[in-house]
Amino acid sequence: MTGCRWQHSCQAVKKAGDSPGTFLSGITQASVGCLSVYNNQADRVLVGMASAVTRMLGQISAIASSSGRNHVSARRRRSSNSNINQEEFPCYSVCVARIAIMVMLAILIGLLTLLTWHFTKVYTRTSLNSLAHGLRYELLQRPLLRMWKILNSTVEITTSQVRLSEYVIRKYGKAENQAQEIELYEVMRDVTWALFSSRKALNSMSIKYRNGFVQAFHRDLRDKNTYYIYSNLDNYTMVEPYSMNRSSPHDQGWNDQMIHGNVSAVWYREPLDPDTGRKTGKQKEIPPDELINIAGISQVPDGAASWHVAVSKFTNSPLLSAALPVWDEDRGSIVAVVGVTTALYSVGQLMKELVDLHGGHIYLTSQKGWLLATSSSTPLLRNSSSGPTLTMAEDSQDEIIQSAAKWLNKTYHDKLPLNHEVLSANAILGDQRYYIDSFFLNLTRLPMVGVLCIPRKNIMGKVDAREIKTFIILISASVCILVVGCICIFILTNGVSKEMKLRAELISHLDARRKAEASSNFKSQFLANMSHELRTPMAAVIGLLDILLCDDSLTNEQYATITQIRRCSTALLRLLNNILDISKVESGKLVLEEAEYDLGRELEGLVDMFSVQCKNRNVEAIIDLSDDMPKVVRGDSGRVVQIFANLISNSIKFTTSGYIILRGWCENLNSFSPNENFYVDQRALWSAYQKKIKRNEKKSCKNDNTMILFFEVEDTGCGIDPSKWESVFESFEQADPSTTRLHGGTGLGLCIVRTLVDKMGGEIRVVKKNGSGTLMQLYLLLNTPTDIPRESYRLKFAQHNLKVVLALNGKTSRSILSCWLLKHEVPIWEANEWNELTHVLQELFKPTYTQNLTYEPLEAEFLRKEGAKMAIFIIVIDIGMLNITTDIWKEQLNFLDAINTRAKFAWILNHDTSNTIKIELRRRGHLLMVNGPLYKTKMTHIIEAVIKESSLDQSKKNIMWTDAHATIQIDTTHTKSSNDSEIPETNSVGSSHIEETNQENFAVYGVVSNFFPELTEVGSEWGRVTSFPNDNSNSEQQVDQKVKTGQKDLEGLYILLAEDQPILQRVATMMLEQMGAKVVVVGDGVQAVEALNTQKETRYDLILMDCQMPKMDGYEATKAIRKAETESVSHIPIVALTAHAMSSDEAKCLEVGMDAYLTKPIDCKLMVSTILSLTKCRT
Amino acid sequence: MAAVSQLQRQFIEYTTSLYNEGYLDDQYTQLQKLQDESNPDFVVEVVSLFFEDSEKLLNNLATALQQKIVDYKQVDSHVHQFKGSSSSIGAQRVTNVCIHFRNFCEEKNLDGCLRCLQQLKHEYIQVRNKLEGLFRLEQQILQAGGSVPMMESICTSASTMSSSGKLSA
Repeated sequence: MTGCRWQHSCQAVKKAGDSPGTFLSGITQASVGCLSVYNNQADRVLVGMASAVTRMLGQISAIASSSGRNHVSARRRRSSNSNINQEEFPCYSVCVARIAIMVMLAILIGLLTLLTWHFTKVYTRTSLNSLAHGLRYELLQRPLLRMWKILNSTVEITTSQVRLSEYVIRKYGKAENQAQEIELYEVMRDVTWALFSSRKALNSMSIKYRNGFVQAFHRDLRDKNTYYIYSNLDNYTMVEPYSMNRSSPHDQGWNDQMIHGNVSAVWYREPLDPDTGRKTGKQKEIPPDELINIAGISQVPDGAASWHVAVSKFTNSPLLSAALPVWDEDRGSIVAVVGVTTALYSVGQLMKELVDLHGGHIYLTSQKGWLLATSSSTPLLRNSSSGPTLTMAEDSQDEIIQSAAKWLNKTYHDKLPLNHEVLSANAILGDQRYYIDSFFLNLTRLPMVGVLCIPRKNIMGKVDAREIKTFIILISASVCILVVGCICIFILTNGVSKEMKLRAELISHLDARRKAEASSNFKSQFLANMSHELRTPMAAVIGLLDILLCDDSLTNEQYATITQIRRCSTALLRLLNNILDISKVESGKLVLEEAEYDLGRELEGLVDMFSVQCKNRNVEAIIDLSDDMPKVVRGDSGRVVQIFANLISNSIKFTTSGYIILRGWCENLNSFSPNENFYVDQRALWSAYQKKIKRNEKKSCKNDNTMILFFEVEDTGCGIDPSKWESVFESFEQADPSTTRLHGGTGLGLCIVRTLVDKMGGEIRVVKKNGSGTLMQLYLLLNTPTDIPRESYRLKFAQHNLKVVLALNGKTSRSILSCWLLKHEVPIWEANEWNELTHVLQELFKPTYTQNLTYEPLEAEFLRKEGAKMAIFIIVIDIGMLNITTDIWKEQLNFLDAINTRAKFAWILNHDTSNTIKIELRRRGHLLMVNGPLYKTKMTHIIEAVIKESSLDQSKKNIMWTDAHATIQIDTTHTKSSNDSEIPETNSVGSSHIEETNQENFAVYGVVSNFFPELTEVGSEWGRVTSFPNDNSNSEQQVDQKVKTGQKDLEGLYILLAEDQPILQRVATMMLEQMGAKVVVVGDGVQAVEALNTQKETRYDLILMDCQMPKMDGYEATKAIRKAETESVSHIPIVALTAHAMSSDEAKCLEVGMDAYLTKPIDCKLMVSTILSLTKCRT
Repeated sequence: MAAVSQLQRQFIEYTTSLYNEGYLDDQYTQLQKLQDESNPDFVVEVVSLFFEDSEKLLNNLATALQQKIVDYKQVDSHVHQFKGSSSSIGAQRVTNVCIHFRNFCEEKNLDGCLRCLQQLKHEYIQVRNKLEGLFRLEQQILQAGGSVPMMESICTSASTMSSSGKLSA
C-alpha cells in the first residue's frame, strides 16, 4: 500500500514536472527568437559605427551602410526561424569596417602623395621659374645693354666727331683757296681717322660737307678691310656756308637730291691699313653711295641727332646709323653732317653667344617689328628688287623667331602692354614649349623690342622629367604603403573580428544563460506554486484523516487502513515540502533564521528519531560529537537539522546492515590539528575550506566567533560510485536510477542539503572511504554567541571513581563510547552479549556476588564500610541483552538483582520495549532507563544522575532505596528535535512519572521536565521539517487522540477576527466557535483597531488578521495596533491570514509585528495549534 | 423509507460526481463538517453569501474591464477576493479560473482577462446550479424525513468508500 502510494505520488510529481518541461521548451524557442533579434541589434550598432567612421567617404559609405542594412534586415527575416547564420553577422560588419578603414587609408595615402608631389613640384617650379626668369631677364638685358652701349658709343663718337669737325672747320673754315680747303679736308680726314680707328665697332664714319664733298671711312666687315672713301674734290666748289634758316628748312639749298643729282661726282676708295690708316692700295673709283650710306643733310632736318637703322649692301646685318649736323661758328648754318654707322652684327654675335648655351633664340626688333638682330644665323635682310631691306620678324627665315613673333602678335593682337614687356612661360612654338619674354628699350629715336625664346625643355626639362619620375616613385611608394596597410588592417581586424565573434558568442551565451536562469526561476516559481497548491489539499487530507481516526466507530481494519493512508499522505506532504524547499532556495526566497540553539541536542534528537528506523533495519545509529563542539550556536536550527535529517535518512535508505555514524568536531579558524580519531582524509576538505577562507578573509576576521564545524555522515551501505560523487547533489539525481524502485525517493534530498550547506557558507562532498559505504563530509560556518564560555562544560568524571560496564549490542557505538570514557579516565568493561556480561560482572563482583547470595545483611555492612571509598559501578545494559522472546529475561533480571545494590543500572530501552518489561524493571528498582541509542550526552546524564544519586545516598543512607519507585526516563529527545508523534509520549510518560517522583529525584531530574511547556509550540512546522513516516502506530494513535482532546482547546478564548470576505468570516467563525472560542468579527482593519480601542473591559486574547482588506489592510492595522501598544505593556497576539504562502510574505507579516502566520484556506488544526501556542505563551 | 434511501443514494451520487468533476473540493467538506445542530443551515448560509459576493464581484469585474483604461490592480484585487471566497467554499473550478485570471492580470492581457471573465461567469453559474441542485436535493430528503448523509469521506479514497457507505447506512 505504501509503495503504491509512493509511486503514485512520484508519478504525480513527474507529471507535474513534464508540463513545465514542454512549457519551457516553448520559452526556449521564443528566447532563441529574441536572441537573434538581439544579435541583429548588436549588428546594426556595428554597422552604424562603421557608417559613422566612413561618413566622410560620402557615397561609398552610404552605399555600404544601406546595403548592410538591407542585408541585416534580410538576415533578420531569415533568422527569425533559424539561427544558423548567426555567426556571419559580426563577420560581415567586420568586412564593412575593414573596407571602410582600407578606403580611408587609401584616400589618406593618396592625398599625402598628391600633396607631396604637388608641393615638390610647385616649389621646384616656382624657384626654377624665378631663376629662369632671372636668367631670361639677364639674357635679354645683356644684348639690350650692348645695344645701348653701341648706341651710346655711336652717339659719343658722333658727337666728338661733330665737336672736332666744328673746331677744325672753324679753324680752317675761312679757307680762301683750294689748298686751304684741302688742308682742311686733310685735317678733317686725320681727325676722323683718329676717331674711326679708335672705335673698332664702327662700320663707317662719314662727313659730308656742304659743298657735297664727302669724306668717309669704312670698314668692310666681310673682307676685313678698311677703306677711305672720298669724293673727287674737283667737282666741288667752295660754296657759301649754308645759311640755315630754321623757319624754312625746306628751302635748304642743298640736299640729297642735289647730291644725287650730281651724278658726275666721282667717289674714290682707297684701302687703308686698319691700324695706321696709311694708304695701302690704290684708290679706286666707285660709284657714289655704292658702299655706304653717307648721312646727308636730309637726315638731320631739325639739326638734332637722328637715328635710324639702315641697310647696307655690303653687310648682311642692319646698320645703325646716326647723323649729327656740324654747325658753323655762330650756329647759324650747318657746315657739314657727320654720319656714323655701326653694324649691329656684334649684338647679334653677343646674342648668339648668350643664347647658344641655352639653345634659345633672341632677337631685337624695332617698334614696328623690323628685325634688328637675331641670335640665329639666318640673314636679317631680304634681297628685294630695291636692294636689301629689313625683314619683319614674322617673315624671318628662322622658324622659331617667326613663330614667336607670330605668337606674340596673335596673343596680344598689337595690343602689347605699354612697355612691351611680356613674360610668358608656356608658348607653344612649333612642337615645343618655349618661354617667351620681351623687353622694350625705349630710345628716343629708336625704340626697340627684344624678344627671348628659350625652349622650356632646356630649363625645365630635367625638372619635368624628374617630376614624372617623382610622381611614379611616389605613386608606387604609396601603393606599396597602401598594400602593406591593407594587409596590416586585415591582420589586425582579423584579430578584432575573431574577438568580436567571440564577444558576440559570449553575449549570446550570456543571453542564453540569462534566459535559462529566467526559465529556471520560472520553473522554481512553478514548482513552488504547484507544491503550494498541492500542499493545501494534502493538509486537508491529513486533517480529515485525523478527524476520521478520531471516529470511535471504526473497525480495527479500517483504522489500520486510515493510519496507513495518513502515513502515505504525510510522506507525500514531505515530498511536496522538499520541492517547495528546493524552489525556495533556488528562487532565493529562503531566509535563514538567526537564533541561538543547542546544536548537540538537535543532532542527538535527530539520531534518536532515526534510531527507531535503524533499529528496525538492524542498523546502528551513532552520533559522535567531540567535546569541544560549542554547545550553543547561532543559526537556523531547523535547516541544520534538515541537512542532517536528509543525510541520515539517505544513509538509512541504502544501508541494510552495519552502522550510520554522524561525527562532528570543531576547528578553530586558525589552528588545525589532524585528529587521529577520524581516519578519513580531511586534508581535501580542509584545503578547500582554506581556499574559501582566503577569499573572504576580511569577513571571517570581522567575525571572530565564527566556528567551522566539520561533520561526517558515514554509513556501511551500498556506497556511491566515484563518478557520481558530484552529480548526486544535483536535483532529481540519484546515484543509481534503479534505486528508485528499490528505495523510493526523488533525489531531492541531497540537492536540498547542498543548497542549504552552501547557504550556510559551508561545503559538502563525498569522500573516499575504506570499505563499503558512503562517507559524506561537510563543514558549516556557524556563529557562536560570544558570551558563552566554551569550555565550561568540561566533564570531570575521574574524581568520582567511576567504573562503567558497557553492555551494548552495537559494536561501533560501544567502542566510540568506551574510547570517549577512557579519554575521561573512566575505567570501562565492555560486553557484547549476555554471557559476556555475566562473565564481566562475575569478574567484577566476585566477592560480593557470593556474599550477596548467601548473606544479605553483610552487604549493608559492606556498604557502610566501604562507604565513600567504594567505586561507583555503572552498568549500562541494552534491553536487547535480555532474551525477551522467552521468559528467560526474568531469570536474567534476577541475576542482575543480585548486584543491584552494588552498582547502578542504566537500561537502554528500545522504542518497542514493552510496558511489562518496563514495569518489571521499575518494580525491581531499576529506575534509570534511557531510550536508545546511547550517546555521549546521555551517558553524561546517566553518570551525573548516578553521581548525584550516590551523593544523596551518602547523606540519606539507605532510606530512599526501598520506596523510590519512580522511574526516571532521561529523555533527551528534547523539544525541538522531536517530531510531533513523540510529543504525547514524552508528555504523558514524563508527567505521569514526575508526579510520582519524590522531591529529591525531582530535584535531580528536574531538568528533564522543563521542556514540556514548549512542546505545544512545535506544531506542524516541525512536522514539515523533520517528520518522517513513523512505523510506530502507537504514536499515530496518540496524535489522533491529541487532536481529539484538542477539540475544545480554545475554550474561553476571546478572539477578534478581522476579515472582509463574508464567506471566510463565516467559515473561520464557525471553526473557532466549534473549538469553543468566542469570536468577534470585523470587516476591515479600521474596525479592528476601533474594536480594540473601545472594548477595553473584555480583552481579546488574539486577533486573526486578514492581510488584504479594504480601507486598511492587515499590515497597516497591525502596525497601528502595535503602535498603540507601545504605550501600555500589553501585547496582543496577532495571527496573519493570507493567501500567499511564500516566506517573504511571512517575513513581511512578522516585520509589521504579527506573531504568526496562517495560509488560506484555513487549516483547522494548524490554526488551533498556532492559537494555542500564542495564547499559552502569554498565560 | 425507500423513497428516502433512494433520495439519499441520489444525493450521494450527485455529490460524488460534483467532487469527481472538480466542482467542489475538500474545503466544502470542511464546511459541511462545521455544520451542526446549533447551525443547521451553515453551509447554505455560507454558500448563499458566496453567491451574493460572487455576483457583486462579477459585476465589478465586468465594469472594470469595460473601462477605457483598465485598472489591472483593481481587477486583480477583485479576482483575488473571488479566489479567496471561492476557495473558502471549495468551488475548485472557480478558484482555478481565478488563478489563470490573475496571471493574465499580471501580464495586463486584456483579451485573456475578458476570456477569463467569461469563463469565470460560466463556472460560477455552473457551480451555482450544481449547488442549488444539491440544496434542493437536501431539502427533499429533509422533507421526506430522512437525514442528509455525511459527505466527508466521499472525497477521500476508494478504501474509505466502504466505511462511508457503512456510516451512511
